[in-house]
This record gives sequence, C-alpha cells and structure tokens, in this order.
Amino acid sequence: MHELAIAESIFDAVVAKATECNATRVKSIRLKIGEATSIEIDSLTFCFEMLIDLDPLLSRAQLLIDTVPHRARCRHCDKEFAVINFIAQCPTCHEWSNEIVSGTEMQILEMEIDSAESDHRSEHPGR
Amino acid sequence: MPKVTIAQNILAANDSIALHIKQSLAARGIRVLNIMSSPGAGKTTLLERTIERLRGQLGIGVIEGDIETSADAERIEARGAETVQINTRGACHLEAHMIRDALQQVDLERIELLIIENIGNLVCPADWNLGEDMRAVIVSTSEGDDKPAKYPQMFASSQILIVNKIDLLPYVDYNVEKVKRQALAINPHLRLFEMSCRTGEGLDTWCDWLLSFARSDK
Repeated sequence: MHELAIAESIFDAVVAKATECNATRVKSIRLKIGEATSIEIDSLTFCFEMLIDLDPLLSRAQLLIDTVPHRARCRHCDKEFAVINFIAQCPTCHEWSNEIVSGTEMQILEMEIDSAESDHRSEHPGR
Repeated sequence: MPKVTIAQNILAANDSIALHIKQSLAARGIRVLNIMSSPGAGKTTLLERTIERLRGQLGIGVIEGDIETSADAERIEARGAETVQINTRGACHLEAHMIRDALQQVDLERIELLIIENIGNLVCPADWNLGEDMRAVIVSTSEGDDKPAKYPQMFASSQILIVNKIDLLPYVDYNVEKVKRQALAINPHLRLFEMSCRTGEGLDTWCDWLLSFARSDK
C-alpha cells in the first residue's frame, strides 16, 4: 500500500505550488502515470481523496489521471512495440535489446485553481 | 480558473534526497546496495553470512529496515557490522529521507560498502530510490516459482537476482530454470546468483562479486 505515500507526495507538491500561486482552491490535478510503475490507480485515488478531506484548499479537488502505455523501441530493427507484462522482446525481429519509450512516467502535470487574483477579476468583469 | 503547470516527478522530493545520498557516499568511495525480497526469502541471513565471510576484508555498514522490532539489526550487529535499525511503523517500504537520517548514525570512515535491507515486500520498494548504486532482489525456493511474472516491476528495476535456499530443491516443487527464464525475459541484464545461505553453497561466488563491486570504479 505505498499509494498512500505517493498520494502524500502529490499532496505536498500541490500544496506548495498552490500556496506559491495564492490559490484559494485547487479544482483539479492532472497526473501522468505509466503502466510500468507499480501504482494502482484506484488505491491512489482512494488515498488522495482521504488526504484532501483534511485540507480546505484541496477538498473536492479532482484527480485526473492520464495513463501511459508501456512501449519500447527495438535497437536492432528500430520498430516501436507494446511491452506486455514487462516482457520487452521485439515482436518483429525477436531481439531483446531495446530502449523504453514510455510507461515509466510518474508526473504531476498541472492543476486548475481559483486564485485571489482570478476571484478579483471575476468580481469586476469590466476591468 | 487558471491552469498552473507543475511538470514535476511525483517522487521528485524523494529522488533529490536519494541523489544527494548517492553523490555524497560516492565522494567517500562508498558503494550502496539495496536488497529487496518478499518476507522470509533470506535477506537477513544473507547479510549475516556475507558479513562473516568478508570480515577483515571489507568494511560493511548495514541499514536494516523493518516495520517493527530491532531483532534483525541485533542479528547483523552480532556479526560485527556497523548497523542502524529503521522502524517504519507500518510503512511498507523505505524512503530516501529515512536513509539520510539513519546515515547520521553510521561511522562512514569505517565502511566501503553500505547495504540497505529493505522491507520484505516485492511491490512498493521498487518505486523508491534510496541512493543505491545497485538493487538486488532475492527469491527463495520455499516460495512459488512465479515471482518474476507476478512482480515484474521489482525484477525490471533490479540488477541482481539471487535464488536462495537451493538446498531445499529436492523437497519442493520449484523450477529454478523457469524463474530464471521469466526474470531474464523481463530484464535480460540481470546478474544471477544461486545459493544456500544455510549450507554455504554459492556464497563464495557471491562474496567475490560483492568485493569487486565494492572496490570498482571509485
């Protein structure tokens, strides 16, 4: 159950950035998670929802997760292929030598916020 | 409703501490090995046997990760290695800040090799860098022989695979060749060791390699 620790890492990074941006509320957070990581998306979402209940800045923030397929490129024939169950043998030339193209991502991409400035602007649409 | 770009690795905070550990230990000529396995595969026994055999040849420090108790650290310390116990109080893996804090208690002048014994778990430790130069995963013949296929990320992220308890092979339905085949399909670069920490078989080869690892490229 290391998803709780992962959720805490996301929480800390988002709170730091939101504070820096004078956010009054974080509405959504977009993540990119590769298939080749050992993160279980449902557990992560569950842990994250548990954490954000503790902080008014993030409460009701939605976690949007882009999953990225595990893919590799063969060093022998240069073809890109899907890695199934971590077995990275080229289906074309059956060589094992390859480089991983995607699937190991574990990134916080962006967040959508309400900030003191945007609240101010929306209260004075004519400005 | 502005969008704010963050573009940061989720584990960036952990990774930056891990990099700092790796660089500061490398500067002292200390190499770091992170040992992982399921509970009961023989991590602590391997450490005991390794330390006994390399005593007087190689200064070894051990950071011992356990959820509770200092039982394993006491076993290791009794063999004469610098040992620090980390209790994670429920957490299923070690994180870099725990290693950074534990290192405060290690006499770095006395060691050339730091071995970190991770929490017994084949899933979670794989995602957390601890500043190690190499990762070793241990499987044992008293477990099922499908561990690489079931926990591929652990085998994909390690450089060494140890098959332990080979003395039990006559009594268990464990196919070593199948394990090696599965593991090498996931990670063709794995270096393999087969051993029995009980009888000592394979330990000389392991210790020779460990000695050359600890003394290489400094």
